[in-house]
Amino acid sequence: MSIQIRNLSFSYGSLNALQDINLSLQEGCFNALLGPNGAGKSTLFALLTRLYALQNGEISIAGRSIAHHPAEVMRKLGVVFQQSTLDLDLSIAQNLYYHAALHGISKRQALPRITEELARFDLSGRLHDKVRTLNGGHRRRVEIARALLHKPEILLLDEPSAGLDPATRESLNRHIRELCDQQQLTVLWATHLIEEVHNDDPVTILFRGRILASDTASRLCQQHNSADISTLFRSLTGTTE
Amino acid sequence: MTLRDALICFNGLLQRELLRFVQQRSRFFSALVRPLLWLVVFASGFRAALGIAIIEPYETYITYEVYIVPGLCAMIILFNGMQSSLSMVYDREMGSMRVLLVSPMPRPFLLLSKLMATSLISLLQVYGFLIIAWLWGVEAPVTGYLTALPAFLLVAMMLSAIGLFISARIRQLENFAGVMNFVIFPMFFLSSALYPLWKMREASEWLYWICAWNPFSHGVELIRFALYQQVNGQALSIVIAVTLVASILAVRGFQPQQGMGKR
Amino acid sequence: MRCLTKILPPLTLSLLSTGMLWNQAMAETAYVSNEKDDTISIINLDTLEVTGTINVGERPRGIIFSHDKTRLYICASDSDTVQVMDLKDNRIIAQLPSGEDPEQFALHPDDRHLYIANENDAVVTVVDVKTQEVISQIDVGVEPEGMAVSPDGRWALSTSETTNMVHWIDTRTHEVVDNTLVDQRPRHVEFNKDGSIVWASSEIGGTVSIIDVSNRQISHKLNFQIRGIHPDKIQPVGIKLTDDGKYAFVALGPANHVAVVDAKTYEVLDYLLVGRRVWHMEFNSDQSRLLTTNGISGDVSVIDINRMKVIKSIKVGRYPWGIRIKP
Repeated sequence: MSIQIRNLSFSYGSLNALQDINLSLQEGCFNALLGPNGAGKSTLFALLTRLYALQNGEISIAGRSIAHHPAEVMRKLGVVFQQSTLDLDLSIAQNLYYHAALHGISKRQALPRITEELARFDLSGRLHDKVRTLNGGHRRRVEIARALLHKPEILLLDEPSAGLDPATRESLNRHIRELCDQQQLTVLWATHLIEEVHNDDPVTILFRGRILASDTASRLCQQHNSADISTLFRSLTGTTE
Repeated sequence: MTLRDALICFNGLLQRELLRFVQQRSRFFSALVRPLLWLVVFASGFRAALGIAIIEPYETYITYEVYIVPGLCAMIILFNGMQSSLSMVYDREMGSMRVLLVSPMPRPFLLLSKLMATSLISLLQVYGFLIIAWLWGVEAPVTGYLTALPAFLLVAMMLSAIGLFISARIRQLENFAGVMNFVIFPMFFLSSALYPLWKMREASEWLYWICAWNPFSHGVELIRFALYQQVNGQALSIVIAVTLVASILAVRGFQPQQGMGKR
Repeated sequence: MRCLTKILPPLTLSLLSTGMLWNQAMAETAYVSNEKDDTISIINLDTLEVTGTINVGERPRGIIFSHDKTRLYICASDSDTVQVMDLKDNRIIAQLPSGEDPEQFALHPDDRHLYIANENDAVVTVVDVKTQEVISQIDVGVEPEGMAVSPDGRWALSTSETTNMVHWIDTRTHEVVDNTLVDQRPRHVEFNKDGSIVWASSEIGGTVSIIDVSNRQISHKLNFQIRGIHPDKIQPVGIKLTDDGKYAFVALGPANHVAVVDAKTYEVLDYLLVGRRVWHMEFNSDQSRLLTTNGISGDVSVIDINRMKVIKSIKVGRYPWGIRIKP
């Protein structure tokens, strides 16, 4: 019972961004949402985070409808947005305290949580450094730490590795997978980079607003007689990426 | 949402605005330059222009500099309110507003808290300006600086709420320049900020009516009276009513239920 | 302790109310002559409100108290008389001969002799208030206006608007013994407390001349300049000097400002905005306040001298001219 999406459609005027999406995330797993740019990933995220209102269909998170119980749902959700949402001129601590306050967590309660999360990312010593002094990889880690502050059950990440070098991407991906294993966290990781998807990950391939396939990567390859997920993705979407 | 959550949340919002304010000291000073130019350059030239009639709440003849100080305070609030409201709307799909909107707190509470926090920051600039005006020789009664505080806050809430409503609803005002030209300038110039309404009436009757209907005029008058330890009942009720209506409309514009597609 | 709390409130209340009564009885009163209305307005200086208006002769201008402050002398210019008002019941009890068109006058320290400037006849008329007779008429320059008698009673000074002179009248002989040429249209003269210095304002010249009484020569000349106001509008008229010798106040007529001058260095310290065409001024008894008559705007502005701020302007009749304050 993590995230369930039923018959979801969304359009910007006459342009259909999402059509008849049905999706259930595997609990405690690294779920990949794979799709090229413009496939509708960001629209889906905007709907999941209540930036846009539902037009058709239903989303429930942890068993609660997002339209009817927004507060409960948002409490269970941690989000990392595609663009950085950190205040560059404030310190890591100030950014994290702000987020904690938005969830009704006082500074005193937040501090142990912050130290714990930062320690996981080897950023403990930089608590009072301004975000501006951090490199891109570290900024992402701070954002992930922030998304985990209020101990959500589900973590959404929209293209978290965008703009990072391959080594950083790799380590970030590994970190998130460790989190899944250690904390039974359900993760939805949206990406257009196929190499970030592992063979036993549940994968959903989104293309032009529709779901083309949804299963673990290895099983999808079997079903479609593809050598690997990369070949599969190309044959399904007709892209050369 | 418990009261404790609400307090923590509001406190967090306020602290963030404060920190940003401290970080951007240059913005603070540049925000002071505009009203000070009005006061020092513009008002000095017209120094004796108003020594013709005594208008409430003043007890005697005043120089033009004394007259425009409440209007200039309101101008600081107007610019700040519009600026922060506009950034709230244009940042909503990215950046800090998204962080705000994924909070489990009710959105009306979040938005109004944010408006309140930026309003309180505006007050710092207003009092900064009043101190400089005082050094320049434009004084109000000492207790007036205190009695004006709730007026400043209320007017700040009104103007940010109007700003939020306008920028959420009227897409054509795409940037701050648009808001300057079509909202801030008309609001400021067609009000009692620079000239008293009787003076406007001497110029033209319809100009007078526009100014009399402009909520900004009532904000200015509320501040003007409060600075002289008086309550202008009419201005107060109009400002409260406009604040309420604009807040409701602005908050509705931010409810996901209202939907708002990608621009 | 309990007893105390029971007793205290009524006690303080009664103290307060007697205090208030006392205050009311002791409130200072300003008398303002309204040139166009032929009235005197009475202002309570505690409440700063007009408490009464009295009809007097035509075109009342200069007003002055007898030394015991029981009577008010009023120059009723168009009635060609000086009226005497009893301040007990504000009734006119006598009309003194004054010569034609009396405008300004001064009372000799002997409390008996009024020196009255008669603008149209180029004379100063001396009247004995006791016998109600004209004692002397002294020829001075054309259009005499300002009048003052030195504190020691030796000199009566008259200024003539067209001749541009301050005339020095010896009060023993009633003869002009000397003249001091000042700037155009001298309007008002004022002695300092010890009588060693005279301040004379020149309306058109826009200056105030400081004259040394010992040699009757000008020792200083004050000029005025107000931001945003055309120099032609700066027309000094009324002058008041504080007893402590600290300040001089100069009413600048259509400039609508009162200049605050350091009476020792003759430096202009400030300009205070008052009503339109400010004319004459008067201190209250402890000199903490200065009241100005503003002719065109028809009001009296109240200046707080400690703060050097105008605190209020009070509507009176049309064209207020002279003002005196009774403790």
